[in-house]
Amino acid sequence: MPTGKNIYRPVRAKLTDVIVESPTIKTFVLIPEEEFSFKTGQFIELSVDGIGEAPFTPSSSPLVKEKIEVTVMKTGYVTEYMHNMKPGSYMGLRGPYGRGYPVEKFYDKEILILGGGCGFAPIRSLLYNLAAITDKLRKVTLCYGSKTPEDCIYKPYISELRKIPKFEVYRSVDKGDSNWTERVGVVTVLLDDVKVDISNSVAVVCGPPVMMKFGTLKLLQMGYPEHDIYLSMEKNMSCGLGKCGHCMMGKYFVCKDGPVFTYDEIKDQPNIWN
Amino acid sequence: MEYFYTKKADWDDLLGRLLVSHDIFGPVAAENFQEYEHLDAATIPEVIYNKPKPASPLKIFFLPVKENVTAERPPEKPRIIIGVPSCDTEALGILDEVYLDSSFEDLFYRNRRQNTIIISSDCFDIAEHCHCTSYGVKPWDEKRADAAIAVRGDTVFLRLISEKGRKFINDSGVFSHVTDNTMISFIDARHRETESMLARANSRLPGYSETGTLVKESGQAVWVKHSATCVSCGACTTICPTCTCFLLIDKPGFHKVKQMDACQYPGFERTAGGEDPLGELHERFRNRYMCKYVWKPEKFKNIACTGCGRCIEACIGKIDKNKLFMELAI
Repeated sequence: MPTGKNIYRPVRAKLTDVIVESPTIKTFVLIPEEEFSFKTGQFIELSVDGIGEAPFTPSSSPLVKEKIEVTVMKTGYVTEYMHNMKPGSYMGLRGPYGRGYPVEKFYDKEILILGGGCGFAPIRSLLYNLAAITDKLRKVTLCYGSKTPEDCIYKPYISELRKIPKFEVYRSVDKGDSNWTERVGVVTVLLDDVKVDISNSVAVVCGPPVMMKFGTLKLLQMGYPEHDIYLSMEKNMSCGLGKCGHCMMGKYFVCKDGPVFTYDEIKDQPNIWN
Repeated sequence: MEYFYTKKADWDDLLGRLLVSHDIFGPVAAENFQEYEHLDAATIPEVIYNKPKPASPLKIFFLPVKENVTAERPPEKPRIIIGVPSCDTEALGILDEVYLDSSFEDLFYRNRRQNTIIISSDCFDIAEHCHCTSYGVKPWDEKRADAAIAVRGDTVFLRLISEKGRKFINDSGVFSHVTDNTMISFIDARHRETESMLARANSRLPGYSETGTLVKESGQAVWVKHSATCVSCGACTTICPTCTCFLLIDKPGFHKVKQMDACQYPGFERTAGGEDPLGELHERFRNRYMCKYVWKPEKFKNIACTGCGRCIEACIGKIDKNKLFMELAI
């Protein structure tokens, strides 16, 4: 066996809790057997033993080192296995990989965050990070959209967020019900409600590709400069190492050069929205 | 450049002695082609020198088609690979950039690179689709291998390239230093002849960066037309000395099997959510050329096509990229 760090070998992590967030989304609480830390917005490769591996951005605070939380939507072969896993079993972790959110660049600014569906997962990690440094920030505005009230994730956390000074939370659903008191419509309608000083603001977008596309277009219309719109890109990040080629987006390996890019970095690359 | 020489019989004897301690590979003739063989005493004299080119690219020695990259394994025997054309050694440039990247170094690749002596072979002839010089690659190696070989009659000449090559030559005990340059004047002459043959054969072929511009500016109709006979078999990428893409397959025990993959296969970029930027055949077809001539040159220092021509030879759809590029250049 060659000596040195084997970049392909995962660290085992014990699954200690499974939190049901919605009918299709669960959060897995993991305790790695080896020291493991990440910066917010970076991603990991999470594997089910002998089944497969998939990339996820942790949804927990990067400041908490002893555990890691990963929020997973059931959408394919591997995630279906994950959704059937019970506490006490083990998963594999590789990473962290890529370039996350440049939190230091957000200091003294208003941060407008636009999230959709399971795209709230990386955003929650960012929000945990921002909540720990509110004295360095002007304002944090979260606009979060989901399909239905039932699909809204992190409901207890939303209540916590609304109590944090300088934080504002807006939510929408595509289709409401009799108990829903917030906005109805696609998530971009929330941008009509927010008050933000664009000249001293950055925007963060994370969600399904179609939402990323129209969210970005709306932010550009509002006057956000291209270099102040941060996008967390979703591609087939298979190795996480900038080698396997599956996540190539033009000249970028999304896994290594991203997954967080500013819009001006990627606007001329192919297939950014699919 | 420093040259050394020995008798062909002594060279073959040397390789024979090294079989005890090394795995030695070199190209030998098959039916109507040549291919690397794991050499033994009987096949050492049959190695083909100075004639392009083995059917397989050099990368097969560093990036196996399939290997478990998490299992314990015994150390590999040191290797000597002889008769490697410069289009293949040039490809080591981008392979090294990808696999020896300091942030994520691939231990298996690194060990094989360190554990292997590469004796390149100057090309004194060309094959039908050779076009290395069109992309700035000389048909002889002066920088990537450890030494390069030129055979004339019963004399073997080695051009020294690396310190590993110097140790190999010194340790061999059979080489003498060339002090009379008239001994090696034929090598320079043969180089010029090969360059002339390549220039004549590829006089209409656009250069590397010009090809990038042509590929970038060509519309969808071009790619739909030229991909008509592509069957997405991936032969072009498998045989390519610079293609490095792979798939990680999970096995019980959190093991990972790394297997060669190809952007020409359906689903290569598909995500679990269903998005598939390369869902259409013509998109995958174009992707390969954009990767080689546009995107990789923006990202890496080394070129991503060394002009070996193997992808043309391997294509069962009879797609000739050089004809395509010449058509685009009109």
